[in-house]
Parts: sequence; C-alpha cells; structure tokens
Amino acid sequence: MLEAFKEFVNGVSSPVAIFTSATIVFILFVSFPRQMTAKRMSVPILLAVLGFFGVGLTDEHFRNIVTTPDNVPIVGMIFIFGYFTWYAMKKAVENDRRIEKGEPTLEQAETNEKVLVFPYLIFIEFVVALAYAIVLVVWSIFLKAPLEEPANPTVSPNPSKAPWYFLGLQEMLVYFDPWIAGVLLPTFIILGLCAIPYLDRGTKGSGYYSFKGRKPIIATYLFGFWILWNLLIIMGTFLRGPNWNFFGPFEVWDVHKVVPLLNINLSDIIFIKWLGMGLPKLWFIREAPGIILILFYFMAPPAMLAKTAFKGIYKKLEPVRYSILMMLLLVMIALPIKMYLRWAFNLKYLVAIPEFFFNI
Amino acid sequence: MAKQSPTLYSIAKTFIWFALASIILTLSLFGIVYIDHHREWKDTQKKFIKLKTEKAREELKAANQGVDKQKIEGISKAIAEAESAFRTHEKDYEKILAESAALDTKITKARGRYQDLKQFQDSYRYFFEEYSLHKDPKAASYDKKLKSLEPRLGQIKLELENLEKQKEEKDASAQGFISKEKELRKELDKVLDEKNLAEKRLKNIELTIAKEILDAPMLNFLAPTLKIQQIVLEDLQDDYHFARVQKVDRCTTCHLGIDQKAFESAPQPFKTHPDLDLYLGSNSPHPVEKFGCTVCHGGNGHSASFKDTAHTPRNQEQAKEWKNKYSWKELEKWDAKMLPLNHTQAACAKCHTNVVEVPKADKLNRGRALAETNGCVNCHKIAGFSLVGTESAWKSGPDLRNIASKVDKDWVVRWLQDPTSFRASTKMPKIFHLSNTSSPEDRERNNAVIESIAVYLMKHSSSVELLKPPFAGDKERGEKLVKEVGCLGCHTGAGVNVNDFGPELSALGSKVTPEWLYTWVKDPKRFSKDTRMPNMRLTDEQASDIVAYLLSQKNDSFEKTSLPEAKKEVRDEMILTHLQSTMRRTDAEKELGSMPEEEKFEYLGKKSIAHQGCYSCHNIKGFEDIKPIGAELTFEGSKELHQFDFGFIPIEHTRQDWIAQKLKDPRIFDQGKVKAYYDKLRMPQFNLSAEEIDDLTTFILSLTNSHVPLEMQRRLDLKDQKIEKGRLLVSKHNCNGCHTLDGKTGGLWTWAEDKGSAPPVIDGEGSKVQEKWLHAFLKEPTTIRPWLTTHMPTFDFSEEELTTLVEYFAYLAHEEVSYKGYETPVASAEKLGAGKTIFDKFQCAKCHQVNPESAKMGSSFLAPDLALTKHRLKPEWVKKWIQDPQAIQEDTMMPGFFPDGQSPVQDILEGDAGQQIEAIRDYLYTYEKTASDDPSKK
Repeated sequence: MLEAFKEFVNGVSSPVAIFTSATIVFILFVSFPRQMTAKRMSVPILLAVLGFFGVGLTDEHFRNIVTTPDNVPIVGMIFIFGYFTWYAMKKAVENDRRIEKGEPTLEQAETNEKVLVFPYLIFIEFVVALAYAIVLVVWSIFLKAPLEEPANPTVSPNPSKAPWYFLGLQEMLVYFDPWIAGVLLPTFIILGLCAIPYLDRGTKGSGYYSFKGRKPIIATYLFGFWILWNLLIIMGTFLRGPNWNFFGPFEVWDVHKVVPLLNINLSDIIFIKWLGMGLPKLWFIREAPGIILILFYFMAPPAMLAKTAFKGIYKKLEPVRYSILMMLLLVMIALPIKMYLRWAFNLKYLVAIPEFFFNI
Repeated sequence: MAKQSPTLYSIAKTFIWFALASIILTLSLFGIVYIDHHREWKDTQKKFIKLKTEKAREELKAANQGVDKQKIEGISKAIAEAESAFRTHEKDYEKILAESAALDTKITKARGRYQDLKQFQDSYRYFFEEYSLHKDPKAASYDKKLKSLEPRLGQIKLELENLEKQKEEKDASAQGFISKEKELRKELDKVLDEKNLAEKRLKNIELTIAKEILDAPMLNFLAPTLKIQQIVLEDLQDDYHFARVQKVDRCTTCHLGIDQKAFESAPQPFKTHPDLDLYLGSNSPHPVEKFGCTVCHGGNGHSASFKDTAHTPRNQEQAKEWKNKYSWKELEKWDAKMLPLNHTQAACAKCHTNVVEVPKADKLNRGRALAETNGCVNCHKIAGFSLVGTESAWKSGPDLRNIASKVDKDWVVRWLQDPTSFRASTKMPKIFHLSNTSSPEDRERNNAVIESIAVYLMKHSSSVELLKPPFAGDKERGEKLVKEVGCLGCHTGAGVNVNDFGPELSALGSKVTPEWLYTWVKDPKRFSKDTRMPNMRLTDEQASDIVAYLLSQKNDSFEKTSLPEAKKEVRDEMILTHLQSTMRRTDAEKELGSMPEEEKFEYLGKKSIAHQGCYSCHNIKGFEDIKPIGAELTFEGSKELHQFDFGFIPIEHTRQDWIAQKLKDPRIFDQGKVKAYYDKLRMPQFNLSAEEIDDLTTFILSLTNSHVPLEMQRRLDLKDQKIEKGRLLVSKHNCNGCHTLDGKTGGLWTWAEDKGSAPPVIDGEGSKVQEKWLHAFLKEPTTIRPWLTTHMPTFDFSEEELTTLVEYFAYLAHEEVSYKGYETPVASAEKLGAGKTIFDKFQCAKCHQVNPESAKMGSSFLAPDLALTKHRLKPEWVKKWIQDPQAIQEDTMMPGFFPDGQSPVQDILEGDAGQQIEAIRDYLYTYEKTASDDPSKK
C-alpha cells in the first residue's frame, strides 16, 4: 500500500507536473481567495501536506534528504511562507468583505482600541523571545552543523548545489543560457523589485490588508514569489539530485542515472525539420526567425495591450513607466513560456549564436 | 485610581506561558552544558580508573596478606614498652628541652652581636684603606679602631662557639631519650613498606568527591582527572589535500593501557599493545613518542570520538556489535580510514622502503612474494617493483619466442582452454571461459581467439636446433636422480613437495618431446636465453635418465580433451570488430575480403594477444616494446573509494573488500552489465587460496602515496642497500630452495633426513670464505664436498650480479670486501711442525679426506678437503672455527677440540690453546693435496 503510493508519487513527479500543478493551485488561490483561505479548504490542505511529510519520513531516502541539517530550514520555509501568505490573504479577504459592507477595516477597528505597551507588547515579546531562544538552543543540540572531512580538490561533490537563495537561478540554468539565467534575469529581478515603488504609485489599499483593489499587482507578485522563486527553491533542494537529474520524492539518488537530452534549437526546427534545407552559414540569417520572434514578443504585446486591455494602465502610468512595467512583466512571463516550450517541443534555444556565446 | 486600561489578552495566562518558557529554557541550557561536557572518552577514562582502582585494591590486598603480622606485633609491643619507659623520664626530658630553648635565645643574641661587629670591621677596613691610599691623616684613627676591634671580635666568636657546643650536647642528650622509640618505628615502617606504597597508589588513583568536583564543567581547568591525552608528532603529517598538518594522536585518551605491561588481559580499549619491545616501548624501534598511532593504523588521530576516528571493524559481526555499542557509522567521505587489524602490516611499507622484505611483517612479505610469483607486477605497473628488464622485475612466464620447438599447436589450444586441466598447480591463470565470458556466444568467441593465438604463436616462433638424447635412459635411475641431483631445490616432483619455485615436474610426457627436454636439462639457455633455470651440469647419461623418467609421466585426460571448433564466421566477425576501430564497416568488410584465408587466424591472434596482454608475462615475438594492459597500482591503497567500480555486487564498499573480491573472481564486476565482448574485464583468474588473497590484499593496501618525511623513514646505509640488492638476487634465483641463508631455512635442508647430505648452510659465508674464491665459485662452481649428490648449479651470473652477491655475503657477516686476497700467514718452521703434530693427533684427515674408509662413516661425518683452505677460507675464520665450531655453526659435526678455551694437548707450545690453534691454522695454509683424494669435478 505504502509502496504503491510511493511508486505513484514517483511516477507522476516531473518538473512539468509539479510546475503545472503548482500554477493551477496558484490560479485557484488568487481567483477564489475567500474559499481557499477558509477553514474548510486550508485545514485539509495543511493536513495533507503534514500527512505527506509524515508518510514520507517513514522512507529512508526521503528521511535522509529532508532531515539533513541544511535542508531542515527549507522544510520550515514551506510552512512558514505558506502560513504568512495564507494569513495575509485571509486578512485581505476579510477586509474586502468589510469594505464592501461599508464596515471599517480590521486595522481601523483595531486602531480604536489602545492598550499599554507594557505589559501587552513587552511582556508577550519577552515570552516570544524566550521561546525563540528555546528553539535555537534545541535546534543547535539536535541539528549540528556538519563538519565533513577536508575538501579533496580532485573530488567534486555530486550534486553541486548553490545555496538555497540561488537554487531558483540554478534551476533556471536548465532552461536558459548561463548569461541569461545567471546575469540578465537576476539583474531584472533586482531592478524590478527596486522599481516597484516607482511603478505602483497607487495609494488605494495601502496601510491595510486588501486584495480586491490591488488584484493584478498582488497576483503578479505572488506568482513571481511563489511559483518562480519558492517553488524552484523547493524543487532544487529536494527534487534535484546527482548530475542535476530530476528525482521523485521517494526515488533513490542514483549517481549513474542517465536520461537522454534531445533538445534542439529553433533554427534547427525551422531550417532542417520544416524547410528541409541546411542551416544557413551566416548567423543573422540562421537566427533571423528567433530574433524576429523575440523582438515581436517584446514590442507587439505592449503596444497591442495599450490599446485594449491595459488602456487604463497606459493612461495612468504614462509611456515610460508603462514600457518599463511591460518589459519587466514580459521578462517574468518569459520564464514559464520558455519552460513550457522546452517541455513541449524539446526546444533548446530560440536564438543560438555560439559565435558570440550568446543564446536566448 | 486612573481609568482601568483595556486588556488585549489574559495576563495570567501569559504568566503561565512565561513560567513554562523559562523552565524549558533553563532545562535546555542545562542540556547545552551537558551536551558540550559529556564525552564518550570521559566515560571510557572513568572505566579505566575503575579498572586501575580494582587492580590497586587487589595489590593492596596482596600486600596486606604479605605483611608479617607477628613481627608487627613484636615491634608494636617494643614500641609500647619504649613509650612507657620514656614516660617515667618525661619530666627530665622536658627540662632538657627548656634548657635547650634558653640556650637558643642566647645563641641568637651572641650571633647578632658577632655579625654587627663584623660589619664594623669591614667598614673600618674600607675607610682605613681608602684614607691610606689618599694619605689622609684620618687613616690613623681607623687603624686604631680596627686594632681595638679585633680582640673583641675574637672574644665574641669564642662565646658563640661555646654556646653552640652546649646546645649540641643538650640536644644529643634529649635525643637519647627518644632514640630507641624512633628506631623501632623505622623498623615498623620497613615491614609495612609495601603495604604503604600500595595504599598510596590506591589513594592516588581512586576517584573521590573532590576529584569529581574538579571534573565538573566550569571547574575542570584547574586540575582535572579526566583529560584528553595526546601525542604531538613533529615529524609526521596528515595529508589534507591542500595542506599538510602536523599529526596529533589522541588515541591514548581512550586507549589508556596501551603501553603498560599490566593490561594484557584487560578488555578493549585498555588492552596492552602486542609486542611492546617492537612497538611503543621507549627502547623499541617505534617508540610511541616519536611515532604515535595513526601512522601505522590510519584513522583520524585528531578526534577523540569512536566514530569520528574512523575505526574499521574486522568483519560484519564486529560492525554490528559496534553499531549497537558505540552507535558506529561508516564515515562515508573520510578517506584515511583505519586499516582493519588483519591488514595493519600494509602500513609498514610507508617507511620501510627499498627493502626486499620488511622485518617482522610476514603477511606483507608473503603478499609481495605472491605478487611477484604470480606476475602481478608484470601486468600492473607498480613503481619500485615492475621495471622489467632491470634487476627489480622479470617476466614470470616462460619465453614463447621459440615455442614451436617445444610444443605443438594442439597442446597450446588445450592449454589456453584451461591450464589447470594440464597441471593443477600451475601459476598460469585461467583467461577464457570465465564468469563474464561463459555465455554460448562468448564461448565461441573464446574458442576463435584461442585458436588464433595458437596460430600466431606457432607462426611467429623461431626454431631452435635441439640435441638428440644419446641414450634411451632408465626411468628408475632418472627418478633417483631427480630426487638427488638438486631438481627438488626449485621444483616439486617425484612425489616430493618441498619447493614450488619452478613449475611442477608432472605430465611432461603429454607436453614436450624427448629432444626438447634433453636439450633443456643439458643447457636451458640454449632454448631460452633469459630463463632463470640454471645449468645443472648433467652428464649425457644423467640427462637421458631424467628425460626418460619425466616423460613417463603423462596426463591422459588432457591429451584426450577434444579441441573445440573455432568457427570461421565468429572469427570473421571478430576481425571485423577490430578493423572497425580504424575504418568504417564497409571498408572493413572489403579489407576482410582481401585478407588471405591463412592470414586471418594470424591477424586475429595478433590482435587478441595485444588485447589480452599475454606479452606482459611472456616474451613474444612482435610485442617487444608494448606497454602492459593492467591498471597502475602504484597508489592503489590511496585510490579514492568512488573510483572503484563495485558494479552491482553487494559487498561492503571498502577498498579491502573490493580488492579481495577482485582477486577471488576478477570478472565479477561485469555481472549484470551489458558489455560488448571487447569491453569486458580482462584480468585473468588466478588460483589463489583465501589466505593468499588476504596476503595480497595487505600488499595492495600498502601501495599508498602517503608522505613520510625522510627523517622518519627507515633509511638504509650503503652496506644495507647492498645487502638488499643481494637479497633481491637471492629471491630471484631461489637460493633458499636449497640453502639455509639469512634467517631462512633451506627447503632441501629441511627435507633431508641426513643433514650431512643436504646442501650446506651458508649463513656466515661472508666471514668464512675469501671474496676472490667466492666470486670464482659462483661464476663456475667446483666440488667442495664430493659426497654430495646435489649439484650447485651454474647460474651464469653477470659480472654485476657476481659482485652483488659477494658484497651481500660480506656485508651480512659485517666484513669488508677485499679482492686482494688473504696473505698466507708467515710462520716459523717450529710452529708449522707443532701444527702438523697436532693435526695428526686430532686426526683431522679422518673426516676431511674422502676415501672409502671415511665414506663408511656416513655423510654427516664427512668434511671438505683441507687442501682448499689456502685459497678458500679466511685465516681469521679458521682460527675461530677451530676454537669453537658450535659458536659459528650450531649442530655441526666438527668436534670442539678446545672446550672452554683449554687445550687438551699440554705438551705442545706450552699448552697454550691460542698458539696451538694458530699453529694448526698456519699448517693448514701449507697443506697440499695428497694422492688419496682426488675430487672429480661434478
């Protein structure tokens, strides 16, 4: 029974399946926030996740990976981030309900009640500090930092994993060229986060939890945070094994596993598969389809959407901020698009220019 | 009172939470202190203290029992009496003490006065001298002062001395009262001496409350009983890949009894190390302060926990036991794990380099010998062992360059199919039809390969003109000769199994022709110029007899084995596979088509020999300079564990388990894998017993790249190096097969019932024979002992080898090498006459001349011809030998004529033993051969 369950889980696990199901859960979460945060949904989900871990801990391989002192914080991260997202959305949904009814928001309601800092803030903070100290002490007793043997320069560990905060980018390396995944995308992430206050000047919904008034922005941010960051970290920690092969949660990390990689470039698909002629010698002819596609992707949608769905936004933000916003959005969406192109068509690069070591 | 502020949550409940959190935090802080403070080794040390305490208690009990109770009673009674006697005079005693004290005060006062006056004297003297110098009139006054001081000083000194004398007398008389008691008490102490010592020892060792407190967490910096014991080794280092770190061995933290004799029967980890005279003792060659532990045993010396020190269990049972007792886990990534105890000798080779045999490392030496005998070093490069063509290594298999003159092709095919079917004791391993080439298709391929190798060898063999045996030969005489003439010094044969250095002499009738065997035993080098088989100098008749006997032994089942068919399609497919390594399939087929039929087997044979690496052990024409196919084993003992391919075989992932499995069945790691025929493992299967595999594993584990600084290595001086060179030659030519030499008993010596007819013991030959003679003898042996049937073979040594051997013998006997020759001692006619007289008296010629008379005595009584003395023996040695033969060679039949250095003949040379011996010696050096003995050259 247990074995069958593990076999099933291993069988359905794959980067596509996990990414897609996570995206579906996400879409449900932002589309029906009230239902998703209600006790009726969230308690079973929590129990299901805990149950999965409980069942999984009976398996030796799962246990080995999940209880490694380095990975325990990531397990904690799943629960802690999940809790805070759920909490924020619950409050937001509550506030939206109150605003609709014309009632004061939770924050406004709270503002009318004032209590003394001491004891109500200090005391509870102190008790929490004590609890925090206990957690640290007990953690340090049971999860010791590993002091392994002296490093051997001729033996590289397999898998070689980046620290957890870079695992998302390491996962991106599977789908993108190192220049893109390691330089361009992190730059866009940082610049994008810095740019948010300048792009989103709206005062509506600030100072209190709210979802309805800021739906697109919150949804976009949550997508970027959960699907494109946390999920990839979780995958990189638990589901990527030796040689960066994908392993199901209950699969043994076998160093000898060989999975064929049969990816081809867009230029190969167009010129060899479809047109049947050889690859052109000059790179700008050879990659012309890919280059045109990329340019179209970045230029056409903003222009088209400005006239139609994003008309209001275009007006509010003015061309400069609008184009910056669209650029950032398009780059963000490019990630899942490229991932699906890879999974569906074994597409390696849209634009492959080995002459300049530049690939997209 | 102000307005009651609203509550946010219940304070009372929060108090409870606060209390709970505080308690838990305090407990967890105690937990931290405990975790930090509690260590495995502290428990172990406590156990050891308990052990020592028990031992000390037992010693105390024994000491108590050994005490003579009666004597104690007697003395105690005497003491009591003395005490009561004293009490009657107690008042007087006290009076004297008081007087003595009063005298003390007086003396102090007097001494003070004396010293003051002395100071004045010194000061006056100074001023007087100063003023006198400057001719100051004040000098006069000081002079007067000085003069007046003197008598006073003298008087006070006298007073002081008187007082001191009085005090002495008073003290002496006081002593008189109590002296008797004191003596008696001293006697009592002496009787109780041992018991007191044992008690003191127990007190030192016993764990008391005070000691336990001093071991507590915050206080154990003051004077802890439980502390880490470590040996810091300046000259030895641990290799941490990018740094070399000084070794610090903390093993003695738990192994507390390791260097003390008293703990041989204690449980581990307190047990004494075996053989403290060789290891650990301060007078041993490996004192623990200089060597520590990890340089021999491996492991992580810096740690003091059982698991982290990388202890290695001996076997599965011990591993389980450790898992339970010590929660032991294999350290996955630590690569300097401890060697399991049955392979500890592998570490000797780190420091004992450049020697043929490491002293006392019997397992390692056996492993080395096995590696050389079985040809491991021919195929696998091992630095220091396998320089083929130099003196360090030689090809272990026979030369195949003339094989067509020795055997026929069918024999080669049957032999390659399964060597043990011809001769079970052969050292030739099995190459085909092994565990990874036993499928029907692979068998067919094997048969094709065998056929083609045989074809190639026959085609590429030169032919040698063979001699024809002149006589038919007698089998019985031949068997007797094989047993007697010395074949058994290297070979097993004629039902005798003493040596197996050379191939077993069996089944030869199914292998070679009479012409070949006759040519071989008469002159081996005629057939194979690099062979180690020496020339036994057989006569034609002897050789014919031996040939007749050996060829009478056949192996019928081998001869009757059917020759498997080598299918042409299989052969052609294999040729195509070879061709495809350099060209495309279509081209290869064309090439194959154009190959003449006769050449196809030859072509495949050449490729197969190249693939299988036969040329590493055998000399084969066409393969003179090709590199062997085996993996280099120079650093196999340090090879990363993940570089060993365990395949799908469920053995423990350790080096020693992999090596042992590989030696047991080299092809087993192909099991479960999908591999083309030419990608399969190629190591042949040797017929090794479990013990041999264990020895070889020790040897292979000894091949490491661990860096030991030259100061710590066992360095050989020049003479030792020459001795090692000689030892190498001795092992190459199997001198120990016949002779007892250099600590090893000769094989034929052990086997001989009559030691007089066995090859002579040559221990101490270097101090016995002259170097020039030895050189000539080794080059061309002559007869020394005509009654011996065994021939000293002619080895055809090169000049370098001869020099090496002469130096070897000389340096073993701590002599210097001199080819100059030894001057015949010049002696007076009188002495020579005396020598001859004693010679006749002692009847030396009775044993030392071989004639029908003496031959009746039996060969153990016969002795070499004394006419050889002049050119053969060293004069000093002859003297020593005559004086006390047993001291030079135990159990010799030479009588000792001078027991205890006294001469039995008192009327010659004044009975002086030394002079007589010299006289005999001098006479011997002039001794000429008489007609009665004429030893024929054998």
